[in-house]
Amino acid sequence: MRNRRRSGWRRYVNGITIGTTLTCVFVLVPVYWMISSSFKGPAGITTASFIPKDASTFNYHTAFSNYNFGRYIFNSVVVAVISTALVLILSTMAGYALGRLPMRGKLPVMVVLLMISVFPAIAVIAPLFLLMKQIGWLNSYQALIFPYTAFNLPFAIWIMRNYMLGIPREMEETGRIDGAGPLRALWSIVLPQARPGLFTAGVFTFTACWTEFLMALSFNSEDNFRTIPVGIATFGSQFTTPYGTIFAASTAAAVPIAILVLIFRRSVVSGLTAGAVKG
Amino acid sequence: MATVTAAPPAPDAPSVEVVGRPDQHRKRMARLGWMFTAPALLFIGAVTLFPIGFSVLLSFEHVNVLGSGFQLNGLTSSNYSLVLGNSTWHYALAFTLGYTVVTVIAELILGTMIALVLERLTSGRGWMMAMLLIPWSLITVISAELWGYIYDPTFGVADSIFGVLGLGHPTILGTNASAVIALCIADIWKTTPFVAIIVLAGLVMLPQEIYEAADVDGSSDWSTFWRITFPLLRPTIALAVLFRVLQAFGLFDLPFVLTQGGPGHATTSLAVLGYQAMFQNLAFGPGAAVATTTAVLVVIGCMAFLKVFKAQVGEEGS
Repeated sequence: MRNRRRSGWRRYVNGITIGTTLTCVFVLVPVYWMISSSFKGPAGITTASFIPKDASTFNYHTAFSNYNFGRYIFNSVVVAVISTALVLILSTMAGYALGRLPMRGKLPVMVVLLMISVFPAIAVIAPLFLLMKQIGWLNSYQALIFPYTAFNLPFAIWIMRNYMLGIPREMEETGRIDGAGPLRALWSIVLPQARPGLFTAGVFTFTACWTEFLMALSFNSEDNFRTIPVGIATFGSQFTTPYGTIFAASTAAAVPIAILVLIFRRSVVSGLTAGAVKG
Repeated sequence: MATVTAAPPAPDAPSVEVVGRPDQHRKRMARLGWMFTAPALLFIGAVTLFPIGFSVLLSFEHVNVLGSGFQLNGLTSSNYSLVLGNSTWHYALAFTLGYTVVTVIAELILGTMIALVLERLTSGRGWMMAMLLIPWSLITVISAELWGYIYDPTFGVADSIFGVLGLGHPTILGTNASAVIALCIADIWKTTPFVAIIVLAGLVMLPQEIYEAADVDGSSDWSTFWRITFPLLRPTIALAVLFRVLQAFGLFDLPFVLTQGGPGHATTSLAVLGYQAMFQNLAFGPGAAVATTTAVLVVIGCMAFLKVFKAQVGEEGS
């Protein structure tokens, strides 16, 4: 029976509170382990202690001074911000057209987009690598910005199109009677209504660019153009893995994106459910 | 599930299209539509469709990588015969399929359980949702390093736990079976919350009246779940499964960082195998063959799925 009233100790100890607590433990303990280990010193990191005994910010200093981590963050920000901006501009225009303008052949376009969005990245690594090698694009920002934009566009177009469909047609037409052209109508009437879609598409694209590994590893292997995931994966040598430094860098990389996701959690959840539905 | 659907324009709505020459206006709008869509489609075509075609070509070529470019030295089917007859490829295919099935089923069961619990929370559900997003937003490489630390044979916490429980000191990433299990656990930790969110979002949308009726009829929680909740959730779950299966099939980051595909080839997925062929052996032809066969399998799987769920998706795309 759902939500029955409970009395006495059963109000606090029941299946729901136990299940919720277990879920929290399941999710948070590994995250805690990462953060607490980032503060452990060289001695503490080699013992499985729950609370760091020799806590310091030593690892953070190492990550930024002995390794090139500041540069990796800069690279990730450049690539993710430019890709996200491009995706938002292009998907707004395409989503508006596919959602609201009388075009023939919208359905095939949407289906092709759906198919592309499920394609495994490994399928395009070889040709893109060889083509970029030929035109000298390896180890550059555009080597990642172009594929990231293209791979994130299909989902963003789907999202934008769905929000565009939901805007009452009358609003736009009122604008048009007032003499606003289609571009003007898109900018000042449709776009403000589709803002939740922009948030969803934006957060998803940014997160995807921030976390992408395979292409970044294949195309930008040179130290100066590594992004955060590639940088963290290559911290270790063949014989030692500097876990303290790795977790300091990981925490520094994970916290901003976690905050971003928490702020936009509604957009993310609506995007996740739409994503699950759309594939 | 379409949260929004196109409202058909009411015939008597005051529309500019009625004024003047509707046909010409329509044509102009359609042209404008293609102009708006073209930049995005060109981008996607250049960076995904064209390379996919090129990849198929590569998989039938002798590819020579040079210092500053590459050379194609004639058509061949040897890449495919090399790959399809290779026992490592057979293993990678079996491993990727098995891994996909096991992790998706485990994540689905755990995620549904979490969602059922959280759905009954009267307060703090938003915060729980936010918490579930943390593993989702974590870079997979980071989660791989984190689990590598947990599984470390000398100072990992998993080793201490085994020690305390009196189970000895197994080298977790050292034997085939335990490395595969360890990899699955790391994946389940990172992705179960994602499944839980999708199922939870589906649960919240279910009509409450049905549950009240079931309550009145004295249906037990167990039979309410199997007779009402599960059938209603089936579309949500099915599509979450599709999404997860496709993602799991492209498995790369986690084994590449956590186990480097080892011990031996025990955790070599199709994507890891393709990557190793291309970038460690510089065998771009066979690598492209691995990538192409993977992509073909994904497309076949996806088409089969779309056929089964044609009703939902067809409705969606119109």
